[in-house]
Amino acid sequence: MRTTSRGLILTLALTPLLAGCFVSGAEGSGSDTQGGSAGRLRVALARPPVQALSPYSDDATLLGKLSVVEGLTALDKNGAAAPALAKSWKQVNPTTWTFELRKASFQDGTPVTADAVVNALDHADAATPKPRVLSDVTLTAKAQDADTVTISTKAADPVLPLRLASPVLAILSAKAYAKDGTASAIGTGTGPFKVTKLIGKSKASLDRYDGYWGGKAKAPGIDVTWIADGTARANALRGGDVDIAEWIPTAQAKLLDAKTRHEVPSVRTDSLILNTGNGIFTDPTLRAAAREAVDGSALVDSIFGGYADPAQGLFGPAVSWAADKRVDATGRAKAATPAQVRSKTKGKVLRLAAYTNRAELPETATVLQQQLEKAGFTVKQDVREYTQMEADLLAGKYDALVMSRVVLLDTGDAVAYLASDYTSNGVYNIARLKDAKVDQAVKAAAEEGDVTKRQQKIMAAEAEILRTDAVVPLVHEKVVQGIATDVEGVLLDPRERSLIDVDTHLK
Amino acid sequence: MSVMSAGTEVRPSRWRASLGRLAAGTALLTAVAMLPWLSGNDPALTVLRARSADQNPTPEQLAAVREQLGLDEGPFAHLAHWLGGLPRGEAGTSWVSGEAVLPQVTGAFAVSFTLMLGALVVTIAVAALVSARTVYLGSRRRLHRGRGVIGVAVLAALPKFLLASLLATVCGVWLGWFPSSGWAGPASMVLPALALGVPSGAMIGGLLDQSLPAAFNEPWARTWHAYGYAPGRVARHALRRALAGVLPQLLPTVVALVGGAVAVEKIFNIPGLGRLALDAAIAQDLPPLQTATLALILLGVVAGLLIQALRRALLGPALRDGALPALHAPAASRGRFTRWAAVACALALLALVTTGLLRDPLHVDTAARLLPPSAAHPLGTDALGRDLLARLGHGALRTVGVALVVTAVCVLAGLLLGMAAQVGAGLTEVVSTMPAVLAGLLTTAVTGPSAWGAALAVCLVGWTPYAAQAAALLEQERASGHMLASLSFGAGPGYLLRYHLLPAVLPPVLRNALLRLPTTVLVLASLGFLGLGEQPPTAEWGRLLSENQPYVELAPWTVLGPACALVLLSVLAVSGTDAAAVRSPASVRKSRRSSGRGAQAQGGVSAGRTERRSAARRSPAA
Repeated sequence: MRTTSRGLILTLALTPLLAGCFVSGAEGSGSDTQGGSAGRLRVALARPPVQALSPYSDDATLLGKLSVVEGLTALDKNGAAAPALAKSWKQVNPTTWTFELRKASFQDGTPVTADAVVNALDHADAATPKPRVLSDVTLTAKAQDADTVTISTKAADPVLPLRLASPVLAILSAKAYAKDGTASAIGTGTGPFKVTKLIGKSKASLDRYDGYWGGKAKAPGIDVTWIADGTARANALRGGDVDIAEWIPTAQAKLLDAKTRHEVPSVRTDSLILNTGNGIFTDPTLRAAAREAVDGSALVDSIFGGYADPAQGLFGPAVSWAADKRVDATGRAKAATPAQVRSKTKGKVLRLAAYTNRAELPETATVLQQQLEKAGFTVKQDVREYTQMEADLLAGKYDALVMSRVVLLDTGDAVAYLASDYTSNGVYNIARLKDAKVDQAVKAAAEEGDVTKRQQKIMAAEAEILRTDAVVPLVHEKVVQGIATDVEGVLLDPRERSLIDVDTHLK
Repeated sequence: MSVMSAGTEVRPSRWRASLGRLAAGTALLTAVAMLPWLSGNDPALTVLRARSADQNPTPEQLAAVREQLGLDEGPFAHLAHWLGGLPRGEAGTSWVSGEAVLPQVTGAFAVSFTLMLGALVVTIAVAALVSARTVYLGSRRRLHRGRGVIGVAVLAALPKFLLASLLATVCGVWLGWFPSSGWAGPASMVLPALALGVPSGAMIGGLLDQSLPAAFNEPWARTWHAYGYAPGRVARHALRRALAGVLPQLLPTVVALVGGAVAVEKIFNIPGLGRLALDAAIAQDLPPLQTATLALILLGVVAGLLIQALRRALLGPALRDGALPALHAPAASRGRFTRWAAVACALALLALVTTGLLRDPLHVDTAARLLPPSAAHPLGTDALGRDLLARLGHGALRTVGVALVVTAVCVLAGLLLGMAAQVGAGLTEVVSTMPAVLAGLLTTAVTGPSAWGAALAVCLVGWTPYAAQAAALLEQERASGHMLASLSFGAGPGYLLRYHLLPAVLPPVLRNALLRLPTTVLVLASLGFLGLGEQPPTAEWGRLLSENQPYVELAPWTVLGPACALVLLSVLAVSGTDAAAVRSPASVRKSRRSSGRGAQAQGGVSAGRTERRSAARRSPAA
């Protein structure tokens, strides 16, 4: 029949199209990176690259995690600066430091020289928008001789060595920097692993860099798959598709074999931020009532399935020095009774915000809603995707926000977080806190050069902030990393900055 | 309204259709280009966040991003620049990553398109299974009773993301038959294609199954059977006849999966177009978003034209020559079973809602978390220790109410646009491939987060299946002999609408709408993350499913309850209307049947209404 033959022709015409799509589809997702040589680590990471492995974006963390790049320094277990590309350093005067470089080479074969370091730091300083780690400092790097770099800052910067450990300030070879100001870490880092191929936002393959100054890595390479969905990540590990899966959501953690489940205290604290600038929480007694009503420990075993610690303050167990130096908050306002709350709010609704990006936060908001309603508040939730609500948050359109925040930012130093979130001119001051004593305490901590004293002052600032009840810490999160039983040497880092290094390998 | 046969005005109609496509496409692209400016969300801030989540949003940083992207030039300069690059094969660079957009979008499109083809295969297989009984019996003239619709309603009500989670866990992790995620080869296509294709197949199959008895009831089929033609031959022609009306449904049901399968793409970690577009939209990264939108528009138009060509090929010259009888279902009894099923579902739902309403849906008890069903909690508790029965009961009215209102609006809009055939066709093609999330983003940009926003957003895109169906049915109906006769007897448009067009179109469209009811519930809930719809902790069925999805494996009862409720609703809606239609057949249809018989007996025309006589005895293309 005529129509049948027409249909046949159509089908025949479609067949190559079909095949073409599939092949290109398979290529696009990089099937060839699978099943490489034996011993390669297969890793499932959560956050896909956003800027094609540019160190000036969130990709920096990822480059650090996979040991692709290094800075002049690194952070040790206790969060102090440790040697990396610089084997030693000293502070010449409050604003000047000199760093002695070790003998190392870039993955493209060129040697790491003082000039290369200066070039890298200059590019980071000139990057637009300016990397966060450099946002409150102006530094100038100079090559003193072939393996000595002098770095001077405009104002005294006691945490400069910590700052330089940030993967954003990774030292890349000259080849990495394009004329338009962008940088790419593909094949230009100094770490034990070298990115050989990046396929969009789905896969990457890394090979061992044999010229690494710290010796050859034990694993011949890494195959990275980005899996944004937590359940899918857990499934990939359970199905044996990957050897390491990071950030297993608490809802999935119980499903993993106990031997593959590794929990790490994280530097993330979940808290309830109260808007002190406008709305009902301008009244300190209402804030105090909210603080007393809210019980974060109820969340630990329920929503977090045990993968969290009840909050002790802004800084949890992952910040090892915090517990010993904690100062009790004194002089807090007296909490309003439920009857007082009702009369003071005059029927005004408490607008409670939470964002959907982290699954636990909306659930937390619902628990908190019940706790707050018991204390006399009338609560209405607003739950949305973070970017959809950020402008409203910063504009003070909510009374309270359930928030998950990293308390040690890229400097590895707690002051940056306190300054941006709680000081009067902080740019991320969602609590809209304007308190002279807090400002003063944070400033004092920022200016302190001595490590122990700085930590003491940070804890004093924490007490000042908690006194205002602008923030009610709920829990300190734990991260669950899924690691197959035949993998050894995975780094469980509370700062989530490292994961795989020279010693990580398959048994 | 034109009631001429299609053949006489092919050229102007093509013109108008292309005009409709062009207008709709341009409007959509412009709306997308305006998105950041409409929403009032500073694109500099969202782009900065996408690049570096912990970056402080200082004014200097934002100014740097704004300058880098040239945001101050405004939306039109950007749109013009982007359009200008297209002829050269450039679609700009991503605002977030700075990489060229075109390779990304084409790569993702190829992946999604391949997946869609896989889903299409599954859809066809499932649809074939669903309608196999009718084809077999019908071709042998043994189709005395309509078949139960329960299986179809159950399958069509299965939430795709739930099916995906289930398949990934069972076949991916437990049994290890297929990879649980990724896109590495044909094996990784199986599970997602099943998750997407089974509900679609049930829907398409359900529609096909409904129109088949009418085809078998046509005089030519009777004649052929009497002549002793092989059942296979009768079946083939009946299928051609019925398929022509169902084919347009493939566009909004299957082809739309290229951009609209975000949830399944996430669960299986497939680097598809839906996720790319969603990520770009969240970051307000315009170049990839615009390019993805354009790709979807082109896909819609090409697929629409292809489907139209297929329909024409199936129906042959009969359609053009106005020699086509419209398909009208015989009043075969649906069987007692269907009626009982409707009653049982109604009772079950009623029991669910009444017992649920007596309980507290909001009481959180973190100690009673994820409890399995027991006397205290007949359906178990969710992750916060809330009683699931209570949440189902309290959510019922709102869920079903909103879904019904949205469906009604969509059906109405679909009918209207389906009648405006030529312009409507272009618009339908362009809109039917648009993911609901995009409509949601445009809605939030204009209205801000609101309780009715989700309904509005779904109405914006949800009408396409009905428009496509109505247009296809109307085209056939207009090409039928009795319409021409009515016209020649001086019937006005109102009369035609009331007595010919609506009776022909409404029942199948309603059936389609009811089959899609569960999907509507789920789509409404899927926009919650944009702040559209009722805010938590309000109970709502779609939300119950999505908020409990992570616990599928740990506590299956948390999703079982809501999923069963959706299935009950679907079965009730479909079988209930079937039973009602059988008990009280529309007066119009009854009179037509009797007059039809009269007309055949007298061999003439009765009372201003000719019956489908002249063309009735031939197969459409035989």
